[in-house]
Parts: sequence; C-alpha cells; structure tokens
Amino acid sequence: MDFVILSLVMLAIGIYGLLTNRQLLKVFISVELIATAATLNFVMLATGQGLGQAFLILAFSTDTAVSAVILALLVIVARKYGTSDISKIVQLMQDKSESEVEE
Amino acid sequence: MIPFVFEILSVGLIVSAVLALFLDEVIYAVAALSGTFLFTAIIYALNGSVFAAVFQFAVSVGTLSILFLSGEMLGDKPTKKTSSNRVLALIGGGVVLSLPAIFLSISGGSGANSDVSFGNALWETRGMDVIFQALVILTVAMGIAIVLYRKKKVAT
Repeated sequence: MDFVILSLVMLAIGIYGLLTNRQLLKVFISVELIATAATLNFVMLATGQGLGQAFLILAFSTDTAVSAVILALLVIVARKYGTSDISKIVQLMQDKSESEVEE
Repeated sequence: MIPFVFEILSVGLIVSAVLALFLDEVIYAVAALSGTFLFTAIIYALNGSVFAAVFQFAVSVGTLSILFLSGEMLGDKPTKKTSSNRVLALIGGGVVLSLPAIFLSISGGSGANSDVSFGNALWETRGMDVIFQALVILTVAMGIAIVLYRKKKVAT
C-alpha cells in the first residue's frame, strides 16, 4: 500500500475534473480533491510525527481561503448571470459585449 | 486491526472521489465528496494522526454544509438523471484507479525522519507560519469589516 501513489491518483482525478467540468460547483469539488491529495501526502509521509500534522494546519487554512474565494465568485456569478455553467457565462458575456459595441 | 483495512479505505476514497466528480446531480456529488472526506479522516486516524483526522473532519463538515446549501440554491438542475449503469461504471473505474496505490510502490517506506513532537513542530518549527496565518486572517476580517462599514455609510 503506497499513499504517495494514492495521493497522485487523487491529484490526477482532481486535475482532470478541473479541466473538463463546466459547472462552477464541480470545479470547486475538483479543487477540494486536489487539496485533499496534498494534505494526504503531508500527513502520510510524516506518520506518527508532528511535522506533517503541523503542515496540515497551514494547508487547511490555505484550502479554506481558496474555498471562500471560489464560493464568493459562484454566488456573484449565479446572481448576475442566473447560471453556474462556465460556457454559458462566457457566451452571455460575449453577447453583452457585442450588444454594447453595436450601441 | 482488520486485515487490508487501508486497501479497503483507499478503494473507497478513490471511488467516492470519482463519483463526486462525475455524478450529474450536484447533491449526490456533494454526498460522494463527504465520503471522500470521511475516508481521508479514517485513514489519518488509523495511521496515528488523530489531530489531523479531527481537523479534517471539522473542516470538511463546514465545507460540506456550505456546498449542500449552495448546490441546492445555485447549481443548475440536470436535465436527466444519472443511470444506474453509469454509476456502476464509475464505481468500477474508481476501483481500477485505486489498484496502482494498492499494488505498486514508489516511496522509500520510512517517509520523513524527524523526531519532532506535534507541539514542538507547531510552535517552534512552524511557529512563524501560525502567527503569520493569524495576522493574515485578522487583516482579512478587518478589511471585510471596513468595506461593509463604508457600504453601510454610503447607503445611508
């Protein structure tokens, strides 16, 4: 059983989800998976020692800050455009800028 | 301890991560993500990192509650339900993806070699980090308070 490979697989799944998903909530889930892979590495490489767990606190606070920013973006975008689909949002933004140019 | 417990937990971890990403319904995806966090916390606890397990559990409960709320309110509703065949395929894919972690090995085995206790690591080795983190959080909180106060003042 190798936890480095386990965290690598988790990281790969997270990056794949980050690149292929169009919903902002799924992007958020992908970021959470990547963060979980990183913390898994920290803790499992320092099993029974304090250093890994001390690093975990730093990793978690960074992860929480990133989560807060993504959630704030999600709320703003969903209120403004009425959807959380990235491709639809880009389309709406392009339509809006084209109509402004025509005016 | 139960034999193969880490293998079973790692399969559960990968399967729930795959389900969290590829299920169409956001609520079910968040439920699968809760499984990912739970399996991670159990792995930490069984490895002797009890503090990490408790911390993981506490942070994940907060994240999941916010995700459930925002998923219900802001997420787009899927046009069709995920078929049971797709769910089975996702579970199978997750099991296959977890096989390399069970049967292969690339790490040296012993990991980091330092006899630092958790208290020493937190307050001596990483002490500056913890203090700077607290300063950053305090600055952000003060910034939010100032912005909200100015908005309130402009509104009145």
